[in-house]
Amino acid sequence: MLGLPRHVACVMDGNGRWAAQRSLPRTAGHKAAETAVIDVIEAAYAAGIPWLSLFAFSTENWLRPDGEVDFLMGLVRRTIRKHALALHARGIRCRFLGDSDIRIPPDLAQDIADLTTLTRDNGRMTLTVAFDHGGRRDIVRAARSLIRNRVPAEQVTEESFAHHLPYPDTPDVDLVIRTSGEHRISNFMLWQVAYAEWTFPQVLWPDFRATHFWECLDSYRGRERRFGAVRIPTPTGKS
Amino acid sequence: MTDATDTTAGDFTPGEGSLLQRLCNEARWGLAATRASILEAAHPQIGAALVDHSTFVAHPWRRLRNTVVSTQRIVGGDERVRDKETARLNRLHSRISGTDSRGRPYDAMDPEARAWVVATLFESTVMMCRLGGEPLDQAAQERLYAEFRALLGHLGDAGGGRLPATLAEFWPYYEKTITEGLENTEAVHAVLYRLFAEVPAPPLLRDHPATWAAVRALAGPLATAITVASLPESYRRQAYLTALPGARVLMHGAYLTAGLATRWLPSSWTRTEVLLDVLNLGPGPGQGSPVVDSLRDHAGKVGALLRLVTPVPTRPGTGGSARRSAERFFAEVLDQTGDGYLDWPDLAAMAREIASRLDLDEQAENRLFTAYAAWWEELRTAMDADGDGRIDGQEYATATTLAGRALIEIAEILFDATDTDGDQAISPEEYRVLFRTTFDHDSAAGAPVPLSRSAFVREFLAFMAGRHHSAAYENLLTQT
Repeated sequence: MLGLPRHVACVMDGNGRWAAQRSLPRTAGHKAAETAVIDVIEAAYAAGIPWLSLFAFSTENWLRPDGEVDFLMGLVRRTIRKHALALHARGIRCRFLGDSDIRIPPDLAQDIADLTTLTRDNGRMTLTVAFDHGGRRDIVRAARSLIRNRVPAEQVTEESFAHHLPYPDTPDVDLVIRTSGEHRISNFMLWQVAYAEWTFPQVLWPDFRATHFWECLDSYRGRERRFGAVRIPTPTGKS
Repeated sequence: MTDATDTTAGDFTPGEGSLLQRLCNEARWGLAATRASILEAAHPQIGAALVDHSTFVAHPWRRLRNTVVSTQRIVGGDERVRDKETARLNRLHSRISGTDSRGRPYDAMDPEARAWVVATLFESTVMMCRLGGEPLDQAAQERLYAEFRALLGHLGDAGGGRLPATLAEFWPYYEKTITEGLENTEAVHAVLYRLFAEVPAPPLLRDHPATWAAVRALAGPLATAITVASLPESYRRQAYLTALPGARVLMHGAYLTAGLATRWLPSSWTRTEVLLDVLNLGPGPGQGSPVVDSLRDHAGKVGALLRLVTPVPTRPGTGGSARRSAERFFAEVLDQTGDGYLDWPDLAAMAREIASRLDLDEQAENRLFTAYAAWWEELRTAMDADGDGRIDGQEYATATTLAGRALIEIAEILFDATDTDGDQAISPEEYRVLFRTTFDHDSAAGAPVPLSRSAFVREFLAFMAGRHHSAAYENLLTQT
């Protein structure tokens, strides 16, 4: 039996299908996702999980139709502004993992910066929102940073490499929850998910609630993590 | 009177532990200084000089910052800094003279007027302590008075200038000046009713005009009511300033709260630096002490919080054009005194701001002022169509360009003064001193790093011709 995961990540998948099932525009699915996001943050907070990451918008998502992208940007902005105070009051540190892409509207970029500034000294839980994030890009950037800092080849280890990734204090992901039954990584936090356990609940993200989250936690706790070894001598409470 | 009160000029050493330094470094001293400035503005000579020369209506926050910085230099412990600052203040004031609307001459170096400035600051400080619930006893008052007199002496008015020698003689002098020497001047009304009601947003809230308008709608009248209620009864009657019902209670409450806060809150919260920091006007990060940096951190968070909780501002289409309207450029950059006209005091105010930013010595300062004076001559000849000795918005809009030979000369002098190491290029560090901002924000607009002389002159001319926005120059010349 395992203890609580230290770092849980959610790939929020299924908004489009949720809307399609109801004959609604795709944007309605994104809108309905907000409730699930807040519910999961609350559930993780209540369960005492110190690190939560949400995969919101990937670099590939820029390829979606313009109208949908604009809607998403507006939605993220409204959501940030609506919940900023509540997040801050709970002592949640909010971070955004991703690029400061020029395609992000300046208003939204300002809000993202403001939320980060406002909550940067909070310590109860760290919420990382992967927004316009690409796992490979982060790795490439880390490599560039190593070269730029003239780190000798023999000094490049897994550990020293990780220091050049964005937010190097983030621990490895223990549990990834990917909703809607999809079994893909989708370029999400590639480095950090190396030893993660995965769960694939069938429920679509807009329907995902605290109870589903708890089920995933239970399933994680029932597993035996081996980190590549045949058997771990003593299961640790922490990982 | 005791010998202690008879301090002669020349041995002014406020330094650590002096009453003057302690009280001036408390943020609540702002209340006293505001009140004092009204009583100063009521002095006919000072009032006229303020109306003609001061930028306090158009750029109050910049003016506030300069005042606080200057005060801290003078009451601070470092003798060299103090001497330099008093010399600078004297040079600054020696350039301010003229005649008021009734044809009476005024001069900022007039010993009577200078004594009155110090007198109001002393009396307002005494009152601040009394209303703050911690009155100064006789000995303390005498000590403070001696320190203020010595300050005036240090500013060059030998023997404490026109201030009476003892505290006992001070009070009759003060009463007499209030009843006989003060007038219902335009400057008093400008501060109480125009400045407080129309004060532009402080830097922190500049991007949120709606929020600031809401705050100001409440805070403006409140500031007026509190200040009016704190003025001496006899002057209020004379100037037809009516204290609103309840304003006295409000005023007492404000002073008492400020006094209690100073006593009970950690001193790092109630010192003058906090004021600057909240206004987000201080030097860049990494410049101040850890305390200031942590305050900056808090100010940053407050700013972030404010921006997040304010409703999304409806942004008028910016159009993306670098060209700004002539009207706005006139109001924001050229008309420094905010009287609707461009005349010598506006240009002098620009020169003053640049000189204090770069901490110019006397020679360089004179060079700059001479260049500005030449520019003024050039402008007046070219633009003053109706020959009234000043340029209004209409005349400015119809004129072709501001950029002539004299303006190039100013740019050259500015370059020389900014290029402190004389390597014929403006390094990022030198740039930061002048503009209080870093290069790279602007380098997108085409300014390479480091700036060569010709690029610097070109950028300056482009800005002054009103053709280009420049965050750096706006920070220097328009920052309210």
